Amino acid sequence: MQEIIGTILMVIGLIFVTIAIFGVYRFKYVLNRMHAVAICDTLGMFFVLLGVMVCFGLSFASLKCGLILVFFWLAGPVSTHLIARLEVTTNEPMAKKLKGEDQI
Amino acid sequence: MWIILICFGILSFFSFYKAVKGPSVPDRLITINLIGSIVIMMLAILAVILKEDYLLDICIIYAMISFLAMVVLSKIYTGIYLSNKAKEQEKNEKEGKN
Repeated sequence: MQEIIGTILMVIGLIFVTIAIFGVYRFKYVLNRMHAVAICDTLGMFFVLLGVMVCFGLSFASLKCGLILVFFWLAGPVSTHLIARLEVTTNEPMAKKLKGEDQI
Repeated sequence: MWIILICFGILSFFSFYKAVKGPSVPDRLITINLIGSIVIMMLAILAVILKEDYLLDICIIYAMISFLAMVVLSKIYTGIYLSNKAKEQEKNEKEGKN
């Protein structure tokens, strides 16, 4: 029973990752693609690790899964923000438009 | 569960193709980030299949290393761009004086 529920949750995560990669192929610009990749980092990771937690049951291993989830949800937006900064800095027409606090 | 693992492998190949083809540097960085998160999910599922807890420790370390790689790479590319820009500006000023 545990394994069946866990597998269903993993399949839901797989669907979200598929949507993310479809978005990466579909969008034309880097900042739009970043928006699609965020689905994989948050929802896909959440459902897959929830499935793993359900399969392991209440033990030390499921605590480790929670730790991975917390770390990834804290670290993912930071790295995405840094890449967005790189894009805004290296894209000259956009860098000229920014003024005041937005300027890098 | 093996089927889910194979599907994740195929998806990571699609994202690898985009990383090779992607036109700009930030494009490649976000696809490599995507490959990293897919590999973490695959390791977690493999831990369930083989019933080995220690693969989850490897997951944590992989997440930390992929985050560190993204930070360092984006800082390096920003630094390269800014130093090239400064050099060009210096060159233009010298030519203006002559």
